[in-house]
Amino acid sequence: MAYIAPKDFSQDAGLIAEVMRVMGGDLDLAWMKDHPHPVAARPRQPRRGLTLDDINQDPNYGPQVIPEIVRHNFSMAPRGAVLPEGLPSLGYRVNRKSDVWADTATVLFEESKSRRWAPARNVPWQALDAVTHSPDEAQAIHQICTGLISISLVAADVPSRWVWLMNQEFHEIKYWMCAQMFDASRLAEAFRKRALYGKGSLGKDSRELGEFLKMVIDSETYPLASASLNLLLFSFVQALGRHYEYLSSNAADTYLGTRLVQDASRFVAYGVDHIRSFVGARPAELEVVNEHLDLVENGLIGYFGSRELLEPLIVLSGGFEPVADFYRKAVGEYFERCAAAGLGAREKRSPLPSFLKLLES
Amino acid sequence: MSIAFPSLEFFKALQQRTKDEVVAFEKLGVCDTTFGVRVGDELYRIAFEIYECTEVDECDDPAPLDFVLSAPVELWREMFQSVVENAGADAEHTINSLTHVGDIMKIEYEDPEGHDCFYRFMATIQAFLDEAKHLDVDLS
Repeated sequence: MAYIAPKDFSQDAGLIAEVMRVMGGDLDLAWMKDHPHPVAARPRQPRRGLTLDDINQDPNYGPQVIPEIVRHNFSMAPRGAVLPEGLPSLGYRVNRKSDVWADTATVLFEESKSRRWAPARNVPWQALDAVTHSPDEAQAIHQICTGLISISLVAADVPSRWVWLMNQEFHEIKYWMCAQMFDASRLAEAFRKRALYGKGSLGKDSRELGEFLKMVIDSETYPLASASLNLLLFSFVQALGRHYEYLSSNAADTYLGTRLVQDASRFVAYGVDHIRSFVGARPAELEVVNEHLDLVENGLIGYFGSRELLEPLIVLSGGFEPVADFYRKAVGEYFERCAAAGLGAREKRSPLPSFLKLLES
Repeated sequence: MSIAFPSLEFFKALQQRTKDEVVAFEKLGVCDTTFGVRVGDELYRIAFEIYECTEVDECDDPAPLDFVLSAPVELWREMFQSVVENAGADAEHTINSLTHVGDIMKIEYEDPEGHDCFYRFMATIQAFLDEAKHLDVDLS
């Protein structure tokens, strides 16, 4: 059943009378007079084009006008528009700026579009025809791709669970989250195509990966979802992209690994900036984020230890030590980002270091 | 006449290639980072803005740089030899491969977000270094 508006417009005598007056030439043009804040937005760097930051320079339209708690607009009206009386509430539930905001989101949104790529034509697929992988190596690549497809699909799901609940005043963040969904969809597409190219196949999904992704997707608030997805999961995805590229022996896999790294890095960049803004504005939430990451990192350990990830990595890396080195580097860089995000020394409370020590022993 | 490596002239020649190959670099997308290339004891500052390399110079202080790719001159020579011979780095000599496992080439940084600029713009930085394939470079 659709939403039922309080007025039956088709039977509204007042509306019909207004239409008749306008059609009779009685235009009051009130909407034309209500332009309280004219601006003259121009590209500051013409080669970059007209960016969100260019049109946000005026304080009446830029994000600086957004209060910490939005109480004045729950409608679809874009920030800076004139709000007439009686606009309906669209039921937004995320109405605190610090819950969502990151200053870098505008740059990352523009960057996402500028650095776009199209798997169908940009990946040099034909390079795979000359590849001499053994059957075991080929299956190991398909297995890694299978995990990446699952991760990417969830990376599209997570923003979709929150974007429609966010107040329209935060439109830059909503744009960015739509870009994340598109980026994640493209990664799912690209690695599905890689797995099935030529004599391909998908691999076996992982229960541990499923548990990890469920922890990410079931995060109770948007800041916790962002910390789980952007900061933790995509730190790992970025590192996996680096390892995928490192293991590649052909132009197609090199291309895929490099693009996985660059696309994942935008998630990471937003995550660091967002969580830093969040805990900076609301220090009482710091422990909440850290406790959540304690739990979700446990999920990452499950995936690190799963045969569906560990074994194909060993097959492709030529042994365990390069994989352990990759895990150490991924976790170390993640902890550095957590510190930059204002979460403190997570290595002192995280379950990840103990797991890495277990691997070393 | 060959361009000697390492030299400021070499990196300026790579800079010019980003202007000559404007379509290719625009296709890679915006790239906004200032990073360093340390060849032995010499440090070169390389600035990218929007689509092209805008500045190249020698510098002493790595602090303002997002990150520094650091390796002995022999490794850089080997990498550029691969670029020249294969019309672009082969899989073993991409900057990702050289920096990923074993730290053959090191990434120096103070700010993790500066470090992540390496990952965000890796494709452009690799394309920049791969432009050496068009230069008459003396790697001896």
